[in-house]
Amino acid sequence: MKVKDIVPRLGLDMLSGDADREISGCYVGDLLSWVMSHAQFDECWITIMSNINVVAVASLTDVACVIIAEGARPEENVIEAAKAKGVCLLLSEETVFSLAAEMAGLLKEKQAE
Amino acid sequence: MKELSLYILDITENSVRAGAKNITVSIEEKGSEFRLTVIDDGCGMKQEIVDRLSDPFYTTRTTRKVGLGVPFLTLAAEQTGGGVSITSKHIDEHPDDHGTVLEATFDSSHIDFIPLGDIVSTFVTLIQGSPDIDFLFRHIKDGSAMELDTKQIREVLGEDVPLSNAEVLGWIRGFVNEQYDEWDK
Repeated sequence: MKVKDIVPRLGLDMLSGDADREISGCYVGDLLSWVMSHAQFDECWITIMSNINVVAVASLTDVACVIIAEGARPEENVIEAAKAKGVCLLLSEETVFSLAAEMAGLLKEKQAE
Repeated sequence: MKELSLYILDITENSVRAGAKNITVSIEEKGSEFRLTVIDDGCGMKQEIVDRLSDPFYTTRTTRKVGLGVPFLTLAAEQTGGGVSITSKHIDEHPDDHGTVLEATFDSSHIDFIPLGDIVSTFVTLIQGSPDIDFLFRHIKDGSAMELDTKQIREVLGEDVPLSNAEVLGWIRGFVNEQYDEWDK
């Protein structure tokens, strides 16, 4: 399952990054230092945080993409940094819970294939 | 990091890496006003570096390209309505009085304030990691005070006993805990 597969399924707005990146799992969290030590390579990270440090943590953990949920809007400099660092930023109005539930469903579907 | 004491450990290690001989870590609490100050006499930073500290893509490390010490502390302070300010004098421009002063303010009554946590372990870990640096740790809260000055301990122990000695560290932990115990009375 790739980023470009979840974008239409979850109704996401893609701001930056690589749509062909493979997603192998999902991580949810807002405490950035915690996410930094727990999110895994190739996971889809869902958070309500939207500051520049999100891009740094995403870049460091090398997650496949970041979904900024619940209508939080990153500032322009955050989007610019994401583009420069090749971090995939996705936006959603949905709650973290419903996005995580949908991701769980998609990952299960993919496993069953 | 779910405890402020871990942020304090992280940020004070910057002073250690700057080659400081003396580091003061001071916590002052007045009502819900929580103020952390870290003062060192390390090599300091030029203004162009200070200006970039809030940028997580700035780091002096060569092993990775992201530095989050100051950005994380700033985020923790700002999410309570406080902030971080840093002033620094670089050794090239101030050969006699170089060093860095970091001040972070928090509103400890704010719901997003991270609890202080195990500050005693932070103090002990810093001394253990850098037994040759002189640390002054001070914590003042509404009239109660805790102070630990490694210079004084060093004077008593003499030059031959390193502060990283397990017995010394155990004594230091007990000495600090005793002072905090007085607060609860």
